[in-house]
Amino acid sequence: MEQELPIIQIRNCLLVSIQTELHDRLALDLQASLMDRVRTVNARGVILDVSAVEVIDSYITRILNDIGKSVRFMGAECFIVGIRPAVAMTLIEMGVELDSVHTALNLDLAMERLELLQ
Amino acid sequence: MKTVEKEIGSILTGTISSITQRSIFNRLGGLATTPVQQLSAGDRETIMRELENSVRLFARSNSSQLIASCARALSPGSATGAAGSLGSLPPPPSGLALAPKKMPIEQEKDIATARLEAWSEAVRIGLSKFASVKVATAVSELARNIVFYAGTGTVELRSVKDDKGIAGLQIIATDQGPGIPQAKLDEIWAGTYKSQRGMGKGLVAVKKLVDVFHLDTRPGIGTTVTCVFKGER
Repeated sequence: MEQELPIIQIRNCLLVSIQTELHDRLALDLQASLMDRVRTVNARGVILDVSAVEVIDSYITRILNDIGKSVRFMGAECFIVGIRPAVAMTLIEMGVELDSVHTALNLDLAMERLELLQ
Repeated sequence: MKTVEKEIGSILTGTISSITQRSIFNRLGGLATTPVQQLSAGDRETIMRELENSVRLFARSNSSQLIASCARALSPGSATGAAGSLGSLPPPPSGLALAPKKMPIEQEKDIATARLEAWSEAVRIGLSKFASVKVATAVSELARNIVFYAGTGTVELRSVKDDKGIAGLQIIATDQGPGIPQAKLDEIWAGTYKSQRGMGKGLVAVKKLVDVFHLDTRPGIGTTVTCVFKGER
């Protein structure tokens, strides 16, 4: 099953809306193509929209942190937007951290903060 | 000729995420890919029952309107769309003790199915919305452990009652995988274990989420994790 998450470019920022189950292969592909795109378009930021993701477990958290780290190595910043309240509460209880990414309530706020970072 | 999946999918888009939609269609099995025109009355009833449950659970707003639209889309030969008799199915039973549900976990896609199933069971027995997300997350962790480390196994959901009669949910994840040696277990609980694929934190996370946690693991024989979410009140 060939599947790829579409990466949208808005100004100097890359946007991915996660609407599907993130499995190993897909996550690695996403990480690789994001790094590639960050380099080719000189992106300042990467925004991952998880508002459609109803459950985030420790595995998905690790994937998001890994993407955040690799994007940071490239010199850009990674934002996770749209984490649902129940998901946030669950992550706190589980004691897992999203420490390699920034978070923002929504896309607008992430873009705003990315511009401030420039 | 549109299949059930296409027809219903177009109604649910924007209200129910595609991840959840896929799980709903998975639960319908072969019916999801059946053209709408070829459905029998019984098929339609089965589909509507499943949809009603799921839409009530997951739609962020106007679920009754959505259910009516689904019924209209499925009703035979109604291009103009009268609501038909299907919109008036009896509401799904709620708060009842349910028969234990055992799900095989064999590949990554089973994780999503188990998670959704756990979520709807949690809501059905009366756990809060937040608690239900915790249940779904715990099941996700346990099912993932099975797929990653044991290959295959099962996740079983049972509704239980405490001595005050408050409903809770018991989750039993079983596999016949390699088991976890004591040294590794010590590292896991100490938080120093790092696995290749997970964060080595799945079990710790589950333990923190649930009210009762019991792990039985024997190297070479397998692992059983039993946990309980207690109902609030």
